[in-house]
Amino acid sequence: MFSAGNLFLGIISILLAPFLGGLIAGIDRRLTAWFQGRYGPPILQPFYDVLKLLGKKRMAVNYWQILCAHIYLVSAAMCVFLFAIQSDLLMIFFVLTIGGVFMVMGALSTPSPYSQIGAQRELMQMLTYEPLLVLVFVTIYFVTGSFKISDILNHGEPILLVLPLMYLVLGFALTIKLRKSPFDISTSHHGHQEIVKGVLTEYSGPHLAIVEIAHWYEIVLVLGICALFWATSAVGMAVLLVLTYMGEILIDNLVTRATWRWMLTYVWGVGIGLSFMNIALLYAEYF
Amino acid sequence: MNFLKSFVTKSRIKSPWLLHFDCGSCNGCDIEVLACLTPIYDVERFGIINVGNPKHADLLLVTGTVNYRNRPVLENIYEQMPHPKIVVSVGSCGNSGGIFRDAYNVIGGIDKVIPVDIYVPGCPPKPEAIIDGVVAGLSALSEKDGRGVPPVADELGKMSASYSERYENFNTGEEK
Amino acid sequence: MFTPVLIMGLCILAPILGALLVLPNIRMLQKAVILVSTVAVTAGSILAYVGGPMQYEPDLGPLLNSHYLVAVLDFLLLFLILYIGFKRKNHLITVLTALQVVFLAVVEFMPGPAAHGNALFADQFSLMMLLIVSVIGSLICLYAVEYMRRHEQHLGLEKSAQGRFFFYMLLFLGVMNGLVLSNNLLWLYFFWEVTTFCSFALIGHDNTEKARANSEKALWMNLLGGLAFVLGLLFVRANDIPLELMTLVREPHGAVLLLPLALFCLAGFTKSAQVPFQNWLTGAMVAPTPVSALLHSSTMVNAGVYFILRLAPAFQDTLFGSYVALFGAFTFIATSTLALSQTNGKKILAYSTIGNLGMIIACAGIDTPAAMSAGILLILFHALSKGLLFMCVGSIEQKIGSRNIEDMRGLFSIMPKTTIITVIGMITMFLPPFGVLLSKWMAIEACSKQPLVVVMLALGSAFTVVFWARWAGLLLSSTFREEERKKEILSRFVSFPLTVLAALSVIMSFLVIGVYTQMVQPIVRMYYSEGIYLTGSGGLFNEIGAFAIYPVFFILVAGLIYAIRAASRIRERSYSAPYMSGIQLKEGEKFGFNGPLGGFVPFAAGNYYLRDYIGEERIGTGINIVGIGIIIILMAGVF
Repeated sequence: MFSAGNLFLGIISILLAPFLGGLIAGIDRRLTAWFQGRYGPPILQPFYDVLKLLGKKRMAVNYWQILCAHIYLVSAAMCVFLFAIQSDLLMIFFVLTIGGVFMVMGALSTPSPYSQIGAQRELMQMLTYEPLLVLVFVTIYFVTGSFKISDILNHGEPILLVLPLMYLVLGFALTIKLRKSPFDISTSHHGHQEIVKGVLTEYSGPHLAIVEIAHWYEIVLVLGICALFWATSAVGMAVLLVLTYMGEILIDNLVTRATWRWMLTYVWGVGIGLSFMNIALLYAEYF
Repeated sequence: MNFLKSFVTKSRIKSPWLLHFDCGSCNGCDIEVLACLTPIYDVERFGIINVGNPKHADLLLVTGTVNYRNRPVLENIYEQMPHPKIVVSVGSCGNSGGIFRDAYNVIGGIDKVIPVDIYVPGCPPKPEAIIDGVVAGLSALSEKDGRGVPPVADELGKMSASYSERYENFNTGEEK
Repeated sequence: MFTPVLIMGLCILAPILGALLVLPNIRMLQKAVILVSTVAVTAGSILAYVGGPMQYEPDLGPLLNSHYLVAVLDFLLLFLILYIGFKRKNHLITVLTALQVVFLAVVEFMPGPAAHGNALFADQFSLMMLLIVSVIGSLICLYAVEYMRRHEQHLGLEKSAQGRFFFYMLLFLGVMNGLVLSNNLLWLYFFWEVTTFCSFALIGHDNTEKARANSEKALWMNLLGGLAFVLGLLFVRANDIPLELMTLVREPHGAVLLLPLALFCLAGFTKSAQVPFQNWLTGAMVAPTPVSALLHSSTMVNAGVYFILRLAPAFQDTLFGSYVALFGAFTFIATSTLALSQTNGKKILAYSTIGNLGMIIACAGIDTPAAMSAGILLILFHALSKGLLFMCVGSIEQKIGSRNIEDMRGLFSIMPKTTIITVIGMITMFLPPFGVLLSKWMAIEACSKQPLVVVMLALGSAFTVVFWARWAGLLLSSTFREEERKKEILSRFVSFPLTVLAALSVIMSFLVIGVYTQMVQPIVRMYYSEGIYLTGSGGLFNEIGAFAIYPVFFILVAGLIYAIRAASRIRERSYSAPYMSGIQLKEGEKFGFNGPLGGFVPFAAGNYYLRDYIGEERIGTGINIVGIGIIIILMAGVF
C-alpha cells in the first residue's frame, strides 16, 4: 500500500483531482445546457468561478464554519489520496464521512434558518446513502474476498458482471453525492435553489471556493469507485464512466427535486432490496 | 503573483454571479431580467448565474424604486455582498424613481441608498439592453480591488454615477 | 515483584476499605479518603498491568477459607435483597431473589470437580479491564466530589447523603475490579450481584418517587440475569465441569455446554441492558450523572459484554454464535434508531451505550479473530469516550439546568471550555481515526460474511452519525459578535477528569497499535491461528482489509492545524450577519428578523426527531417483541 510508486500516484492524484473534477463539472454544465436547448458556459467555467471566489473579500458568520469548511477540504483530499494508494474501501468511506459531518456542523453552527434546514436535510441525505455505500463495499468483498482496492484491481474479471444491481445502488449514492435531482435536497447546483443554498448559504468568497474544490475531490472519488466496477480495461472503464455520468445528467434534467421523506423510504427500500437480490444471485452462482 | 492576479481579474469578468433584487418594481423589469436566463438569450454562456443570496453574488441587479420600507433591506443586502461588487440599476424606477418619483413613500432612485455603477434605462428595458448593461459593468468589476476599495479614478464609474445628475428630466432626456 | 497480594489489595480491598471510611459524613476525611482510594486503585491497576498476566489463589490463613467467605457473603447479600423486596412490596424482586437463593444453595451443596486453576486470574484482557475500571472510575469519583456538592446545594438538602453515595461508588470500584479478576465462577457471580446491588442503591440515591421506581426496575431486570447466571452454574456443575471461566473456555466440552452458555449470555444481556431490557438503563438516567458515567456507560454494563466476550471462544463454529451476533446487531440498530428520536441528552447517551454494547455482542457472536479484536478494542474506547461525554453532560446540566439538547444550542458562548471538550468527546465516538470508529470498521469487516448482521450494523452506524453530528453542530452555534464571552470557571475536581479523559481518548486512539499488540493480540492468538490483524504499513491489516492508522492520524492532525490557522485569520471586521432575506435584526444577544408589523421574531431552530416514525412510543413495543423473539430462538436453538 505504501510503496514509493503508490505514494507518488497519491500525490499526483491530490494535485490533479481538482482539475479533473472541475473539468467534469464544466462538461456537466455544457451537456445540461445542450439538453435544455441552450449554449451553456465554456468548459473551463468552474475554474473561473473558483478563481473569482478566491479573489473575494473574506466574510464569515463565525469561526466554526470556516474551520469546518477547511476540514471538509482536507478530508475530501485525503480520501482521494487514500483511494490512489489503493487502501481499504471501508476506511475511505469512513474518512469521507468526516467531510460530510463537518459540513453539517459548519452549517448548524450558524444561526441562519436556511443553513439549519439545509443541515438537517444534509443529515437525512447522509443517512440515506451511507448504509448503501457500505453494502456496495460488502458485496465487493463477497466477490473479490477483500476490501482493499489493490485486490479489486487484481481480480480477473470486471465486477460489474456479477454485481450489476449493486451498480444501480451505487448510482443512488452517486446521485446524492453529486447533488443532482431528485436528491439535490440540501444544496444544489447554482441557480437551482429551494432554501436559498441550504448548507452553503452562509459561505461566501474563498470559503465557498474551498467547499467547491472539496466537492470536486468528492466527485472524483465517487467516480473512481464507479470505475472500480470495470477495472480490467481502461476503455471499458471510460465507457462505463461516460455512460454513468450521461445517465446522471439525463435523470437530473428529467426529474424534479424530491422530499427527504420520499428519498429516505424509496432509496432505502429499493437500495436494500436490490442489495439482497444481488447477494442472493451471488449465492446462487457460487453454491 | 501578477500572473495569478491577472487570472483572478479575468475570472471576475468571466464569472459574474448576480443577485436580482426587486425593490418594489411592477415586475416588468423583473420579467425582462428573467427572460435573459431563458434559452433565447441564455446569459449563462457568459457564466452569469442568478444566485439566491448576496453572499454568493458579485452583481446586484436592482429593479424598482427605493421606499422607506425597503431601504434598510437594500442596504442590508448590499452590505452582505463581499467585495468586489457592482450594482446595476435596471429600469427607470431604479435609475431615478421613474413615474413613481413623487409618491409620498418613495425615496427615489437606487443611487440614493447604495452606490450604483451601471444604469440601464427603459421601462422596461429590453433583455438585450440589460445584457449590455451587465457586460459593461463587468469591466468595472474587474478593476475593483478585492479588498473593496474602488480605484480613485474610475472613468466608467464617474460617467455612470453622474447619470442622474446629468439629466434634468429623465423621460425627455433634457440635460441640465 | 509486584506480588498478587499487593495488587489484589490495592485494586479490590483498598476501595472497599475507603468505602467504609467515607460512610460517616466527615467532609475533610471524605475528600482525603476518596483521593487516597482512587490513587491506590489506579496505582494497583498500573502495577498489575506492568506486572503482566498472573494467577492467584487467596490464602486467608488456616482458619478462613476464601470460598466459604464468598459463599456466606453471597447468601447474606441475597437475603438483604430479599428483605428489600419485602419492604418495597415488590413481588418480582422477592420471587427472583428467592429462586436465586434456592438454586445457589443447590449449586453450593452439589458436589463438583475441583478447580483446575486459581480463583483469581488476570490475562491481558482482564488487565485492560482493570485499567479501564480503575482509571476511568477514579476520574469519575473525583468529578463526583464537585458534582455532588453542587447537586446537594441545588436540592437544598440539610443532611448530606454523600457518605452513602461515595460508599457505594467506592465499593463498586473494588467489586468491579474483583469481577474482572475472577476466574472462579461463583466469585464472579458474587461480584456480579454486588454490582447489581450498588446500581440499585445508586439509581435510587435521590429517593424520589421516580428514582425508587427506576431502581426497582433495574434491580429486578438484573436479578433476572442473576437467576439465569445461577441456573447456568447449576447446569455446568450438573455436567461435572469445574465452575471456572478459563476451564469452560479453553477446554472442549461439547454441545452440553451450550445451555449454560445461553443462560450466561442471557445474564450478560440483562447486565448490558440489551433489548428488551433496555428500559432499566434509560430509566437509570434519573440518577446523578457520575452514576451514569461510571456504572451505566464505562464499567458496570461492560461487565455483561466482558463476560460474553470471555465466553465467545466457547461457541465457535455454532449456530448459537450466529444468533448471538444477530441479537447484538439488532440491539445496535434498534437503539441507534431510538436515539435519533430523543431530545434528552442523557437518554441519547444511554441509547448510544446500549447500541455499542450490542455491537460488542455482535462481535462476540461472530467467530473470527477480527471480531474478537473489534470487541475488546470497542470496550476500551467506548468506555473512555462515553465516560467523558456523561461527565460533560452532567456539567452542562448543572450549569443550564436542562438535559434537553435543544437548550444546549449555542452553548459555546456560555461554557466554551466544556463545549470544546464535549465536541472532542463526540468526535472520538464516531469519526476516524479514533478508536471507536476503528473498532466499528473492524466489526463491519468481520461481520461481512453475514449479510443480515452487516446490514443492521451499516444502518445503525448511519443513524449514529446523524445524532452525533447534529448534537456537536448545535453546541457550536455562535456568531462573531457575541457579547464578551462569559468566562467559564471550572473547579479543578471537574476540569482535571474532563481534560485527562479527553486527552486519553485521543492519545489512546493514536497509540492503538501499541494497545492492540500488548493487550488484544495475545488474547486473540490464544484462540485463533489465522486471520489475525497484524501491524504494519502504519496500521493494522489482515487478508481482507487494512486501516492505515498513523498516516490518517498525521494527515488529519496536519489538516486540523491548517484549518485552525486558516479560520483564525478571520478578524472580527470580516463579520457578517446570517442571511435572512435582508431583514435580520439583533435584539440584545438574540438574533432574529423583522417580522410582521415590524415586530421582532427571534431565531429558532429544531432538529428532525422523526418522533412520529421512530419515537419510543411508536417502535418501543415492536423492538421489545423482536428482541424477545430472537432470545427465544437463541434458547431454542440450544436444544
